[in-house]
Amino acid sequence: MSAAGVRVAARVAVGLRAERRTVLVCSVLVALMLGLGLLGLCYGASWASPGKVLAVLAGSEHSVVIRDWRLPRVTAGLVFGAALGVSGAVFQNLTRNPLGSPDVIGLDAGAYTGALVALTVLSGTSAQLAGASVLGGLLVSAVVYLLSADRGFSGLRLVVIGIAVNAMVTALNSWIVLRAELEVAIAAVGWSAGSLNGVDWADLWVPFWVIGVLLALAAVRSRAMHQTLLGDALAVTTGVSLNRLRLLMVLVGVGCTATVTAVAGPIAFIALAAPQIGRRLAGAPGIPLLPAALAGAVLLQGADLIAQMLLAPVALPVGVVSTAIGGCYLIWLLTKEVGRA
Amino acid sequence: MTVADRVAEVTRGGRETPRVALLLGGLVLLAVTAVLSVGVGAHAVPPTEVVRALFDPRGTDDHVIVRDVRLPRALLAVAVGAALAAAGALIQTLARNPLAEPGVLGVTAGAGFAVTVGSALGLAGAQTGQLVFAVAGSVLAALLVMAVGRRSPLRLVLTGVALTAVLNGIALGLRLMLPDTFDAYRFWSVGTLAGREQAPLAVPLTAIVLSLAGALLLSRPLNALALGESVAQTLGAGVARTRTAALVLITVLSGAATAVAGPILFVGLIVPHLVRRIAAGSVPWLLLYSMVLGPVLLLAADIGSRVLLPTGEVPVAIVTAFLGGPALIWAVRRYGAGSL
Amino acid sequence: MLAHRSAALAGALALALALTACGSSSDDADTAGGSGEKGGTRVFTADNGKVTIPARPERVVATGYAVPALIEGDAPLVGISSWQRGEPLLSDEDLATYKKLTKVAGESAAETNYEAIAEAEPDLIVLGVPTPVLGDIDMDRLKSIAPVVAVGPTVPSQWREVSRKHADAAGVLASHEADKAAYEAKAAELRKKYQGVLSGLEFGHIGAYGDTSKGTFQREFGGSWGTSVAQDVGAAYYGKVKKAGPGSQSVSEYPSVEELSDSLGEADAITYSVNPDGSVPESVKYAMESKLWKNLPAVKDGRTFPIAYTEAATYQDAMKTLDAIDTSFAPLLDR
Repeated sequence: MSAAGVRVAARVAVGLRAERRTVLVCSVLVALMLGLGLLGLCYGASWASPGKVLAVLAGSEHSVVIRDWRLPRVTAGLVFGAALGVSGAVFQNLTRNPLGSPDVIGLDAGAYTGALVALTVLSGTSAQLAGASVLGGLLVSAVVYLLSADRGFSGLRLVVIGIAVNAMVTALNSWIVLRAELEVAIAAVGWSAGSLNGVDWADLWVPFWVIGVLLALAAVRSRAMHQTLLGDALAVTTGVSLNRLRLLMVLVGVGCTATVTAVAGPIAFIALAAPQIGRRLAGAPGIPLLPAALAGAVLLQGADLIAQMLLAPVALPVGVVSTAIGGCYLIWLLTKEVGRA
Repeated sequence: MTVADRVAEVTRGGRETPRVALLLGGLVLLAVTAVLSVGVGAHAVPPTEVVRALFDPRGTDDHVIVRDVRLPRALLAVAVGAALAAAGALIQTLARNPLAEPGVLGVTAGAGFAVTVGSALGLAGAQTGQLVFAVAGSVLAALLVMAVGRRSPLRLVLTGVALTAVLNGIALGLRLMLPDTFDAYRFWSVGTLAGREQAPLAVPLTAIVLSLAGALLLSRPLNALALGESVAQTLGAGVARTRTAALVLITVLSGAATAVAGPILFVGLIVPHLVRRIAAGSVPWLLLYSMVLGPVLLLAADIGSRVLLPTGEVPVAIVTAFLGGPALIWAVRRYGAGSL
Repeated sequence: MLAHRSAALAGALALALALTACGSSSDDADTAGGSGEKGGTRVFTADNGKVTIPARPERVVATGYAVPALIEGDAPLVGISSWQRGEPLLSDEDLATYKKLTKVAGESAAETNYEAIAEAEPDLIVLGVPTPVLGDIDMDRLKSIAPVVAVGPTVPSQWREVSRKHADAAGVLASHEADKAAYEAKAAELRKKYQGVLSGLEFGHIGAYGDTSKGTFQREFGGSWGTSVAQDVGAAYYGKVKKAGPGSQSVSEYPSVEELSDSLGEADAITYSVNPDGSVPESVKYAMESKLWKNLPAVKDGRTFPIAYTEAATYQDAMKTLDAIDTSFAPLLDR
């Protein structure tokens, strides 16, 4: 066997080992996800036994609260968490940085601008809030992408320009809030925290479809995306059309986050933390999408449960809890750095 | 450029004359913006009255506005502008990262958050208390960001941005849970120079002046450090001591500036960038220019905050964000990733 | 324990379903007959349109401005939202009721706990929130629990009509009318008492919602939080907003402290909002400690009057405002 052949064989073996670990990690995450989902269906103003929940799910018992109130919330927590996880993974692959996330490039701030316009200029119905926030988020992301895209692409430039645009849009937002009428300002602050409270099936069908299509796209192109991780030069030689792929990745990442934001408001830090947790658990090179998605689902659903329990019966916005998760993530990064020193 | 060339360039005195002339030009600019700043505001005061208010005050409404509202505000702008610009110059030199800035690195957010929590707990009422909390907050934030982000310039910046987002998020959560206690947070979310003329500011302003003097004293050892640690060691500068002293100054400057004006982003980023070329690698000059042009920028932004919109005043931090955002984009597009 | 709780849940569900069914059937009846009073229900006009509600509700959930209105009206409440800004205005007895009642929502509408509302098994939900806030609430879900009546103020002085509607919906109009009569009697008495000294005086008001961090103060005109009760006593507030906006922006504005004399230089007298304990709020203090304040004619004449309880949103609350105004204006009689 030639030396090259041995190298290939070794790489395949490593890949297989990593793959086996990924499968194991993913199964554990799926189990955790289902467990938290079931807990979410049981927990509420009054506890429903798991047996009853299962009976309702199977259709042998009837419960509006479980089927039409808790189930959409739990499903949204899981699906949105997965979408945010994938979105973060895509951006961290793109920027090659564990701190890259769609919030950093101004998407949340732009969505908030849209929502503020809906609240202050339009009449602020939920449809307007959703539409305006998607539009705002997409617009700001497009500006960031276009500003950073010419003369070749660099993850660094994307992030720094994102920070700059983010700062300006945030300033614009605070100006709108300062000028708004008192009651509107209070409502706007409520929106900016991000919440899954009161989501209905009716709010979810379209977002689920959009997220489904985007996730399918991401799954199909995930191999190509991993190749770009090995370096642009290598990816070009392996025949990946880089610019198209990059645009697609940005679309998937931005689309997922914007869709979630439209329904729930900005939910911070799931996109930042989930991919890294997934990656470290799976021990894989690069940032694999599936563990990121599952970790995101577990994180968001867990955060939403905490948000419901913390000050019960007052329902806290989930964004407040997910921010705390972001804080823990930073501290964790810190302890790792200190441990290494 | 080799190290030897740079040492020669920094130590030779041939370029002093234009630098001094430029510094004088900067001071003239500072005087002009300061005068403009006391002349402009929501209530129109004729220029002759502005002059009389300064030299022959009679206690009329116009004179009170100029002397007791606008003059303290202009002084505050000078102090805060100098503090932020000097902190930016120091942090860029120390981290060797042209994107570093107290605002971007989350140091001001740390200060603001600490003061908010301190006030809510009833511990940071007096100016000394506020200053202590602000400096403590900025020290913690700076240490955290530098520890997490030390491996790459980009990571440093991202850590700062993430820390800012975390602190803002926690403050928002606290505000939602305890609206009365944390109402003061509104002040800490957007920096402003307005409405501070009655507040007792002697302690933080003294801290700023002392730190600026300290920064100038430290600028020579920093100059050696900027040439690289090995060069610094051969030149006899205590590397660790210099670094620690610089970090203390950065945190006191940004902490004190945030304690009096709230978080103001980008002044510490734009100003050192503007003057870097004129300073040509000399840290003492970089600091001097920053201390003169920082106030100019903040005064100009503050004047802008009063006159730009017909609907009334906007907080100055919003104006600096709109100045600094494009400046940052320009910087990263011009210098590109290579310079990092 | 668990079995008991799920039984309760099932009960809540059955009730919710029954009510939905009931609600839709009476809707039909309404379109057919068009009359308001019918078979224990009636049609109520609220911000969210015409709603069929029970004629005599027995289990009411209230949020926002409806919380003080319905606690003071002794409505049959089974759940309320947290409402911290109204707490200082409640009497000890009402405050005890407020604290004892189950909280089913937080301070902001986004913190509404739908399941807790369903658990409370209400037959009527009264949302006392302004219309823009309704976007944060899932109305369809609330409607599936019980009929929802949303009535909120657009301008501050509207608390009179708003609290009346809240009381009307919850079936405690009589108590509201009694409070209103007491308030009007007292206001008329004070009006007579101060007629001589108030006539010819032009008032200005400084409110508590100014923002020191922006260097502004809040100037309130007639019909605002701080002024509408004093107007009932006979104080005449002059001037109007430079550039009127929606809602409260039509009766109040936020000038820079530099404009203190431009704004209040012509006032003969100035009232200002103070906290319930008599202390001066930060933002009012900011205006009052400016040297420009001391140059104002009204201040030089010593005609400045603190008014506490300016956040009053019900007639019972406003009785306290009247007392505060009486105390504050009393020195005028000695002049």
